Amino acid sequence: MKSPLNATRRDSTGHRAGAVAFGLVLLCPAVTAQVTPAVSERDYFADMPVVLSVSRLPQRLDETPGAMTIIDREFIRQSGARDVVDVLRLVPGFQTSTSFESDAPQANYHGSFSVYSARIQVLIDGRSVYSTYLFGSVAPGLMSVALDDIERIEVFRGSNSAAYGARAMLGVVNIVTRRPAESLGVRAGLNRGENGIADTQLSLGWQALGATMRLSVDQRADDGLTGSNGHNRVQRANFRADVAVLPDTQLEFRGGWMGIDAGRGFATNVNAPLRDTVYGSSFVQFDWKKSIGSNHDYAVGFAHMQESFVDVAPFALAPVVLDYSGVASNDSLKFESVHRLDSDLRYVWGAEWRRESVTSQPLYNTGSAIVTDFTRLFTNVEWRLAKDVLLNVGGMAERSSASGSTFAPRMMLNWQAAAGHTLRAGVAKAFRPPSVFEKQGDIRYSVANQLLQITTLARGQVESESVLTRELGYLADVPWLNSQLDVRIFDEAIAGFIQNKKYALPAGTSVFASNPRDYVNGDSFSIRGFEAQWQSQPWQGARLGLNVERSRVVHAIPLFDPDLLTAVPTSAHTVSLQQQLPAGWQMSVSHRYLDTVALPSTSSYRGSLSRTDLRLAKLLRWRGYKAEIAMVVQSADGAVLDYRDTFVYPRRAFFTLRLQD
Amino acid sequence: MRQFLRYLLTCCGLSLAVVALAQPTPRQVVVVSSASSPAYQEVSKSLFNALQRSGFSSGAVVLLSSDELMRQAKAGQLDSVRIFVGLGVRATQSLLSAGVTAPVLSTLIPRRSFEQLLQSSGRKTSGLLSAIYLDQPLRRQLALVRLALPQARQVGVLLGLDSVGKLSELRTQAQGAALRVQTAEVVSDQALFPALREVLDGSDVFLALADPRVFNSASIQNILLSSFKARVPMVAFSPAYARAGASLVLYSSPAQVGKQAGLVVIAALRNGHLPEQPIEPDDFVVDVNPNVTRALGLTLDGAELRQALRRLERLP
Repeated sequence: MKSPLNATRRDSTGHRAGAVAFGLVLLCPAVTAQVTPAVSERDYFADMPVVLSVSRLPQRLDETPGAMTIIDREFIRQSGARDVVDVLRLVPGFQTSTSFESDAPQANYHGSFSVYSARIQVLIDGRSVYSTYLFGSVAPGLMSVALDDIERIEVFRGSNSAAYGARAMLGVVNIVTRRPAESLGVRAGLNRGENGIADTQLSLGWQALGATMRLSVDQRADDGLTGSNGHNRVQRANFRADVAVLPDTQLEFRGGWMGIDAGRGFATNVNAPLRDTVYGSSFVQFDWKKSIGSNHDYAVGFAHMQESFVDVAPFALAPVVLDYSGVASNDSLKFESVHRLDSDLRYVWGAEWRRESVTSQPLYNTGSAIVTDFTRLFTNVEWRLAKDVLLNVGGMAERSSASGSTFAPRMMLNWQAAAGHTLRAGVAKAFRPPSVFEKQGDIRYSVANQLLQITTLARGQVESESVLTRELGYLADVPWLNSQLDVRIFDEAIAGFIQNKKYALPAGTSVFASNPRDYVNGDSFSIRGFEAQWQSQPWQGARLGLNVERSRVVHAIPLFDPDLLTAVPTSAHTVSLQQQLPAGWQMSVSHRYLDTVALPSTSSYRGSLSRTDLRLAKLLRWRGYKAEIAMVVQSADGAVLDYRDTFVYPRRAFFTLRLQD
Repeated sequence: MRQFLRYLLTCCGLSLAVVALAQPTPRQVVVVSSASSPAYQEVSKSLFNALQRSGFSSGAVVLLSSDELMRQAKAGQLDSVRIFVGLGVRATQSLLSAGVTAPVLSTLIPRRSFEQLLQSSGRKTSGLLSAIYLDQPLRRQLALVRLALPQARQVGVLLGLDSVGKLSELRTQAQGAALRVQTAEVVSDQALFPALREVLDGSDVFLALADPRVFNSASIQNILLSSFKARVPMVAFSPAYARAGASLVLYSSPAQVGKQAGLVVIAALRNGHLPEQPIEPDDFVVDVNPNVTRALGLTLDGAELRQALRRLERLP
């Protein structure tokens, strides 16, 4: 009789063991008559690979070199949000939009300085999703991941170029997707409701060939903002495979595609007529991670991203085509090594090579690709000077083939003054190099080889803008209402802010007088203020949150663009409550208020925001299946302006149905 | 004549003494080892030291492999042995098959394995056949949980074919320790992830019980990553797990196993029989992974926890 206990991993000891066993069968029938137990002393003395190695152990919140907001999966689910940007709306210091009028809904930290989100860095599983197209923006990247695939979102509030390079000028959004191992099986969901909301999502996780994999396909669609040429549809497919090559070596592969179909323009604006635009992106990403003991890890990663943008419309007053189309791509190869010398000293160092390429005849007046190479070297040392004092010192040296070299240092001291009370003080310098468009934009309109007008002609003199951030922080973890308080007091001194300035070309250059836009290092100003984030789990099944923010723009010399003064709200707050109720019911309410802000470069938006969202859900279980039915009301307290003075975010309700095996 | 007789007697006496001295020391204790890796060597070394401290000469204690045991048993060379000690499953299995008549003490053996060997050989524990288990009693493991994580209310446990038999005892012991138990059975590799999700959901601590179908070098990565992500500290059963990323491990070191075996052998030779029932390890180590516990916001000290556990069990 064959016992199932014989089928163990130790059966694979090889031919020699097999021969010995065969010999024993012949010589000692009494031995073979016995059952060989599966569990043995080897289970107690066998070696195991190091899993929670140095790079897999994140810094504790009281040891991070700055203020962090961590949004977990449960918070995302209960928020009723339909995309990442809508979740970031609730993070202290963030301003967001739902408009697709520029490229995709924007998210900015400490100021929406333009209609493009270019001053924060967004990483999805370590891959920068910065879009090289046009002004440079992270907005399309923020749309490229479905909420259901996200494990958590870590928002680093403040400059972090020392760790994430240029573009992490004012903050970093680090999106971590779920491991396929934790999302096996089938999940499906849909949202249907007012404002044409029609979201559908299907996800499948499985194991094969020693790997765990997940494929998720989804759509997010609605009619957009009232008053806009709405009908926006985002379609995505994302695949991830985690392969345990060896117990201490992990290979991760990711690939994905996204398409955004968005209606834009205005019936009464000849320069921006009604039109449909199509944005497409796709990527592949490989990450190889290896642990060398518990105190040393390294990782090698490669990512390639391809983008295309089609935005074409006829010009009503002349036989000219308004064309903003183009293609872009970027490649990144990086190496990172994390070491722990002892319990008091840990450091990371690494290097990255990145190539960004953009091709657009209408935007750059050339059919050739404009290529920018970046090389980066970075390090950060985490040194425990004393039992209660931790010093983080780091920096990144970056060289751009287009805008030269910069060095972004950062230093942060964390002092645990008492158990559960940590004070932070630090200073950081960060840069944002000009985008390709700001450096080389060249938009001109011609008819029959006759140059009618040049509307943009960058003279290439613009250099990186910089920010010097000084901040104080306080983090309290207190038993009172089981709560945590994070306070950040900041002074972010921006110098050489990149802004556009028109200038006149000599008469006769074009048929019509040309006063094209150029991009220059202009205003210098500071954003000063404080943010307090209080999170609590005061009683069973409840999560309570309160954010209070105060900030202002100060400047020593008059500003060229006065809209900058109101680009950052002077006052804002968020209140949220998520509560589990008996019998599988859940309710959540969130309210966000921002006082009056302007959106520089639209010249039309100036408004405050007061939005309350409500959600009521019922969890169901049936034969091992889980389901959730929910009703969400967004902006329940009435319509609000968004992006332009003619765009309205209406009150809207929708139903959610989710199924999971 | 009298002088001659005295000389003769002296010569005979000396000859007898020489003959007696030339005879090899009778083998009193035979230690059979399943393998020769460092853990087994350390157990046998510690066992030999304990015996030597009690006056056994080095020749009285012999170390054999399982194969050597079988050969010598066939050749009838083991008849004078007073007690056998098996280190590990294979050695115990060989001793049960060899048909030795002297008492057999099995050490370095998990309880489940010993019970299976008894069942398959048709033997029962007695003064002639006993064991010192390698696995820590559940009572001790749960007491450690209570000491290290006093806020913990629910313990998650993954069970496989080799550990599911502990379920009823686990429930009883947990009840005694004012803990709830959330278990899930892993019936195949495919079932690991759903089972893991089930046991981590709502649990304050994750208790690992040795079972190669559940815990092995292939599965440990996902298990540890999932438990860490859920911020559920893992309490495991071997030092390798502390290195891998378990917050706490409770185990008996090879030196402790050898020492306890030595003391049991000495008592058995004195009393003429082994303990009628297998016994639990009487000494243990508590290891802490300081980096993992720190990341989880825990402050734990292995030596202090060991002392507290020993006080709780009234161990010297």
